[in-house]
Amino acid sequence: MAVREIKPVVLDLDRLENLAESGYYNPYTMFDWPDSIEPDLPWMSESLTTLAGTPMWDELTREQQIALTRYEAINFFSLNIHGIRELMSEVVMRIHERTYADVSEFLHHFIGEENEHMWFFAQFCLRYGGKLYPAQPTLKADSVDHLSPVARELIVFARILIFEEIVDYFNAHMATDQSLPPIAREINRVHHQDESRHVAFGRMIFTHLLGQVAERDPQEVPLVAEYLENYLQYSISTLYNPAAYRDAGIPDALALRRRALEHPARVEAHDQVLKRTRKFLTKAGVGREAIT
Amino acid sequence: MSEPMRAVRAFIQGRNPKVGPLTDELDLIDSRAIDSLAFVEFIFLLEELSGESIDPEDVDLEDFRTLKALENRFFMKEAAC
Repeated sequence: MAVREIKPVVLDLDRLENLAESGYYNPYTMFDWPDSIEPDLPWMSESLTTLAGTPMWDELTREQQIALTRYEAINFFSLNIHGIRELMSEVVMRIHERTYADVSEFLHHFIGEENEHMWFFAQFCLRYGGKLYPAQPTLKADSVDHLSPVARELIVFARILIFEEIVDYFNAHMATDQSLPPIAREINRVHHQDESRHVAFGRMIFTHLLGQVAERDPQEVPLVAEYLENYLQYSISTLYNPAAYRDAGIPDALALRRRALEHPARVEAHDQVLKRTRKFLTKAGVGREAIT
Repeated sequence: MSEPMRAVRAFIQGRNPKVGPLTDELDLIDSRAIDSLAFVEFIFLLEELSGESIDPEDVDLEDFRTLKALENRFFMKEAAC
């Protein structure tokens, strides 16, 4: 990590810190975990599954549809868990660097809350699904080697922000979906509540670091935009896990995944998931239209 | 060149049009012909082309480093029998 080339990150986080303190809760005692979940209830909103809106969904039996909501809920929570592991390790390594001294207080809240989210997501997966899906492999030679240290620093926080905004789209919907079992609804609701603060922080630090990138070399901004667009596409594609299709008893999982990802109804659904994030990136000057 | 290897080359060039000529020995990872964001899709493509499941927790990067290594690992088994 090369934070010496990054100017100190100074942000006004008083309001977010106060909210984190006043809203503090004990995740280990606040949930009422049932021994099991009613067999005919979906675990994820049907409209949020990766086959929703396509003939591929209609072709499934009702048992396969319910199974798909369950395994895609396990996949969604597993992605959360692996995403949190990644972001926590990045933030922990920065928390007492001079660059981040001014925001260190909030970062402590952030890490604490993320650790708790990881715990309750894993509880759900292990109690009711008996497993997590493994993280997908990554390469050491990463996709950001061509960028300057400050742009790479921006990318660290951009990945966290994008991940949180996508997850929050799902959480916000499922927090009020009465078709879900109460425990699934509650986990999504609690996560949505905390993430609103994390997203607010994420946007502030993103804007700050993007300012440092543009000040150092404006020509690097399109390269950042290109990376972010690739990361958005990558993030959406991780929702489509062939292992979840197989577990739901759906044959030909890889071909199905390919067809689903390209289906017009799904492309429209992806646009909806990414709408808020794209609007923010465009306003910041790093939307996909900035790619040269 | 076999049909699956043509599909592998097309995937790499489609994802990364600036990659230049793809020789059998080019280091696909160090040259960033395949980067982290493309790697998951690449694995799914290889699974589909080879009919073989790849455990994400048991990936040996050396199998993915060059076109030659990929061909040996995923597409030469039948010929070797």
